[in-house]
Amino acid sequence: MAATMVLTEDEALELVAFLVTAARTQIDEAAEYGPLRLLTGARRLADFIIERVSPETRALLSGPLRQIPEMAVRTADPAGYAAAVDAVCRAVAEHLVDRFYRDRDAP
Amino acid sequence: MINPVLEAIRTRRIVRAMTDRPIDRRQLEEILRAARWAPSAGNRRLHRFVAVQDPRTLRLLRMVAPGMFQRPAAAVAICIDRERAAGFGIRPTSKGLYIDVGTAAQTMLLAAHSLGLGSGVVTSFSQAAVSEVLNLPDRLSPEMLVCLGYADPVQLPAMRPRSTITWQSLTDWERFPPRR
Repeated sequence: MAATMVLTEDEALELVAFLVTAARTQIDEAAEYGPLRLLTGARRLADFIIERVSPETRALLSGPLRQIPEMAVRTADPAGYAAAVDAVCRAVAEHLVDRFYRDRDAP
Repeated sequence: MINPVLEAIRTRRIVRAMTDRPIDRRQLEEILRAARWAPSAGNRRLHRFVAVQDPRTLRLLRMVAPGMFQRPAAAVAICIDRERAAGFGIRPTSKGLYIDVGTAAQTMLLAAHSLGLGSGVVTSFSQAAVSEVLNLPDRLSPEMLVCLGYADPVQLPAMRPRSTITWQSLTDWERFPPRR
């Protein structure tokens, strides 16, 4: 099991703490911080695992996931922001399709 | 001749990326000494500052503060002393309590800037979790974290595209025109 892990226990705990406390702060904060926090969480996870994943996943984490500026929020440009998040979602989905169908479709 | 106070006010920026260079304990004390002179409603001084330089505690604070993008060399938690406030008959939601958090924070930011340090404030954190990490007594509620350290030359882009803000755009003079 340990060989398949890409996070240490401390790293996983850091991410759990971030997500749980972000849930609390989001109760009081501006709604536009919701996507910001989720993307920050995704980036932190990416930072932890990037050296331990496949080259293809590494390309996703270092490329499309970094396209949205870290402090970007929706209100500055709602349509542009949604389009940028859509682009990241599309890139993630493409990677998922490549990764999860590749082995099964192989002859 | 340049007015150094106005120049400091104009050139200070929120720093969201910091280097791993430690800051001197005396610098931190100088910042706290400055905060002692911040305006305080009724000069009641209902706030307490918890200064942190221990890397492990700083790491834990960052874990429970989603708004903390920095990895600071030091942090100061500005807390309200709820027992003392109640002793003055001040309601927990009284705006003065929070305004004084702001005056203390701004004083720290300017003091840090004058010492060549970067600083940034964080309010996006779980108060319950920060209280636990700092082992705060029940009477103290953490309201703001002031992050301190040396600014990284590469900063995160601003949250919004810069629009032109002037003092005039923020100001109205005298009375507003009669309502129709």
